[in-house]
Amino acid sequence: MFAKLKKKLAEEAATAPRSGRIPRSMSKESITSVGADSGDDFASDGSSSRDDFSSQIQRRNDQIRKLEAKLSDYAEQLRLMQKTKEKLEIALEKYQDSSMRKLQDQNESFQTNRAKMAEAMSLALEKKDQEWMEKLASLEQEKLSLTSRLDEMTEQSLSLFQKRDDLDELEGFQQQELAKVKHMLLRREEQLNQREKELKLRGEELNTARLTLGKTQDKLYELGEEHEEICRTNSQLQAQRDELLSEKEEAERRVVDLERREQELQQLIQQVSEDFQKAQSNAEALEKSMEHLQSEHNKLKLQHEQHKNKVAVTEEERERILSDLQEKAASLERRLEANFSQDEHLQELLKEKSSLEQRLEEARGELLQEKTSHTTAVSSLEAQVSRQNASIIDLQTLVKHKDDSSKAYRERTDAQISDLEQRLADCAEKMKSLQQQLKDSQMHTDKLQMEWSEERERLQQQVSTQRQRGLEKTARLEEELLAVQRDRETEANKYQDNLRLLEEEKNSLLRSKGETDSTVESLTAELEQSRAEMSSRQTVSVEIAKALEETRKQREELQQQVSKMTESLVKAEQEVSRLSQDLGVKEEEVNALKEELQAARSSLSSLQAECESRRLEAEEKEREHNSQLTSLQQEVLRQTQQLSSYQSRVSDLESEVLSLTAHSHADECEGEQNGTVTVSDLDQLQKVNKDLEQQLAEKNKTIKQLQQRLAELKRTLQKELKLKPDPDSEMKERLQDGRQERSAEKTVLETPMPTAAPSPALGLSQTPGPITPNTTVTNSSDITDTREINFEYLKHVVLKFMSSREAEAFQLIRAVSVLLHFSKEEEDMLKQTLEYKMSWFGSKPSPKGIIRPSISGTSSWS
Amino acid sequence: MGGFFSSLFSGLFGTREMRILILGLDGAGKTTILYRLQVGEVVTTIPTIGFNVETVTYKNLKFQVWDLGGQTSIRPYWRCYYSNTDAVIYVVDSSDRDRMGISKSELVAMLEEEELKKAILVVFANKQDMEQAMTPTEVANALGLPALKDRKWQIFKTSATKGTGLDEAMEWLVESLKSRQ
Repeated sequence: MFAKLKKKLAEEAATAPRSGRIPRSMSKESITSVGADSGDDFASDGSSSRDDFSSQIQRRNDQIRKLEAKLSDYAEQLRLMQKTKEKLEIALEKYQDSSMRKLQDQNESFQTNRAKMAEAMSLALEKKDQEWMEKLASLEQEKLSLTSRLDEMTEQSLSLFQKRDDLDELEGFQQQELAKVKHMLLRREEQLNQREKELKLRGEELNTARLTLGKTQDKLYELGEEHEEICRTNSQLQAQRDELLSEKEEAERRVVDLERREQELQQLIQQVSEDFQKAQSNAEALEKSMEHLQSEHNKLKLQHEQHKNKVAVTEEERERILSDLQEKAASLERRLEANFSQDEHLQELLKEKSSLEQRLEEARGELLQEKTSHTTAVSSLEAQVSRQNASIIDLQTLVKHKDDSSKAYRERTDAQISDLEQRLADCAEKMKSLQQQLKDSQMHTDKLQMEWSEERERLQQQVSTQRQRGLEKTARLEEELLAVQRDRETEANKYQDNLRLLEEEKNSLLRSKGETDSTVESLTAELEQSRAEMSSRQTVSVEIAKALEETRKQREELQQQVSKMTESLVKAEQEVSRLSQDLGVKEEEVNALKEELQAARSSLSSLQAECESRRLEAEEKEREHNSQLTSLQQEVLRQTQQLSSYQSRVSDLESEVLSLTAHSHADECEGEQNGTVTVSDLDQLQKVNKDLEQQLAEKNKTIKQLQQRLAELKRTLQKELKLKPDPDSEMKERLQDGRQERSAEKTVLETPMPTAAPSPALGLSQTPGPITPNTTVTNSSDITDTREINFEYLKHVVLKFMSSREAEAFQLIRAVSVLLHFSKEEEDMLKQTLEYKMSWFGSKPSPKGIIRPSISGTSSWS
Repeated sequence: MGGFFSSLFSGLFGTREMRILILGLDGAGKTTILYRLQVGEVVTTIPTIGFNVETVTYKNLKFQVWDLGGQTSIRPYWRCYYSNTDAVIYVVDSSDRDRMGISKSELVAMLEEEELKKAILVVFANKQDMEQAMTPTEVANALGLPALKDRKWQIFKTSATKGTGLDEAMEWLVESLKSRQ
């Protein structure tokens, strides 16, 4: 805990022996100073010679020559001087021995005197110490209470710090996790970007593929168009062919029609010939019938004339019967006129006339009838004849007509036949021409067909080649397309895989995000909890702050108390000054001793004079033999220094005595001195004044030093108060004890034995810190660090001590005892037990009565 | 009593372990040197809070080598280990020019100790593999070694990580320890 102090003490302890080395360095300085002096002398010579330089150079040269001449003499002298020097050295050694003896005697006397003084001082100081102890005990109690409070506060503050550290750690973890998550996200994003870039590249490739596809499609389209054009030309050709075929068909049809017409015409001709033959036959038949009919007409004409003769004979008979019946009807009417007067014979004769008229009428009717019948027969015969005549006429006309008609017909038929024959010939010609045409056309068509077929073949070949090319192209394109599609599919698969992977990654990311979210949530929850804890802690801290404020107030109070303490310290200092006054009184007593010292001083001065004469001689010799006599010079210088120090001390003492005498008897002597004021007295007074002023300055310095020490002490006190108040107070005690003890010890124990040497703990604690000016003031922030490190160190050392071999453990006893502040007895006990463990026999050392674990700590300190 | 016997036995068998301290400022490479001497390998070390003690056999001589932590706060505890020390290996970081003064003051304070009056001093100007390393003479002058009197000392340039200079130093130490007996 009070490592700082210890360290300080250790450093002092380290520096204290170092002070033994100071004279050496001083001696070196003195050498240099001597050298410098000599140099100065030479320089002064040089400065003096600067006035008349040229003349002096010549002189110098002469001198140098003389000196060179003298140098050989000097060398001889040197040998002599060396001999004398040896003798002188022997004498010096003797003298030194004698002087040392004297000095030792003087020292012993001085030490005895000093021991006496110290005893007296220690007695007075013990009294003071007791008073101080009482005061300190009361202060310790206050300090204890305060330290307990401080401990609590420090615990609270420690817990607060721990909590803050925990919080910081939590925040750190959170930040780390967040950073990790961010890092993961960033990486994922980068991967996504890369995937997107790849996708873009693939898309561009796809676009290029699509462009090529479009181009190929355009080519295909063009080819299709070409194909279509070819098809169109083909169709046109086919249409032409169709037209040609239709023309051919039409021509054939016309040929067929013409043939049909020819046949019809031939049939007509045959019919006409048949009709003509029939008409001829008819005409023959008609001529036969006409001949028949003419024969018949002749016969009929004979018959008609016979009939006309018979009808004329029968008509004459009837006319005679009618003339007889008309004479009888005239006779009977004469009678009927004669008989009428006679009526009966007229009635009978009228009756016979009626009967005879009836009979005539009958005969007439009968004649009429006969006549009619005859007429009718004649008429019929006549009709028959007329008819036959008519028919003959008709027949004759008919025949005529028929002849005419046949003639006309024959003419006509002939004309017609000729026409027809003409027409046939024409037709044949036409037919021939047509056939020629047909042939031509067929030839043409054949040609055309040939051409067409050729063309067609060519075209077909072209088409086929183009088709093949197109097919190849299409195949290629299809292959390309397939390849592209495959690529696309593979790419698509890749993309899909990538997408799947990305989705998986995304899912994983989402999952991780979710996890992170959850963690973040948990963290936020923790944060909230921690915030809640923070708030609670803040409240706690507020309470702590309040407590701190209270403690601050207490501290202020403490500071006030400390100020009071300082006041008391000032009082104590005043007391110390009073004591110093007492000391002055005692110094008066010491004056007697000092007078003795004066006697000693006078002897010393005589010695010094002698020494100085020796020194002067030595110096002269040294100037002559600077290089060879350095060691002697050092010794002499040391002696001179010692002497000067003694002288200074003596002079100081003298001055002190003088001052004290002046101080004490100033008032008394003033009147007397005033009476006898001489120049020497004035000088003395001035000297006394100077001495007093010097003393004043020295005292001021010492006061300042004391104030600095006080301030340092206060600082260390405050630090130790902060750390651990208990040992501090003890330390203070020890410091005050140790300061006096050490001064005594150091004189006695110049060469401490290893066993009898004070333990490092003691040594550490005894060496006072404040004397050294280079006390390191550590920062308060280091305190916890150093404490932790010290604790760790203690832990490590104890662990090693317990775990290592006995031989090693034996070496560690010192360290353990220092770290755990064991007392000397405890350390010895530990050593003995370890030795007992290491040895094969011997008894276990029983713990001494002093070393009881419960009180060992306190007993060792008191 | 027991100590007497043990010392007697050890004297009889002549296998008294030489006690060597490795001291120096923190980060000078003391622990690395200790394990380089013991195992012959470069080990990764952490700042030593405390000490390491290992038995090293070199040329039929057994050394009980103590490597004490060199941190500022635990440097005052070095003096707890000074008793019965045969030799001190003082390790200096040759590249650390800034703290050469501190190293010197620590060395001087150590050499002032009564318990180490008879101990042999071996200074290791370590980390010679570094570019800005001081030469052994520079280190010796910086530590004020030439001004030392009544002390058998020697300085060696070493590199614990490269393993150079350690053998010569140990050779010298063994010879000087043998000659002292």
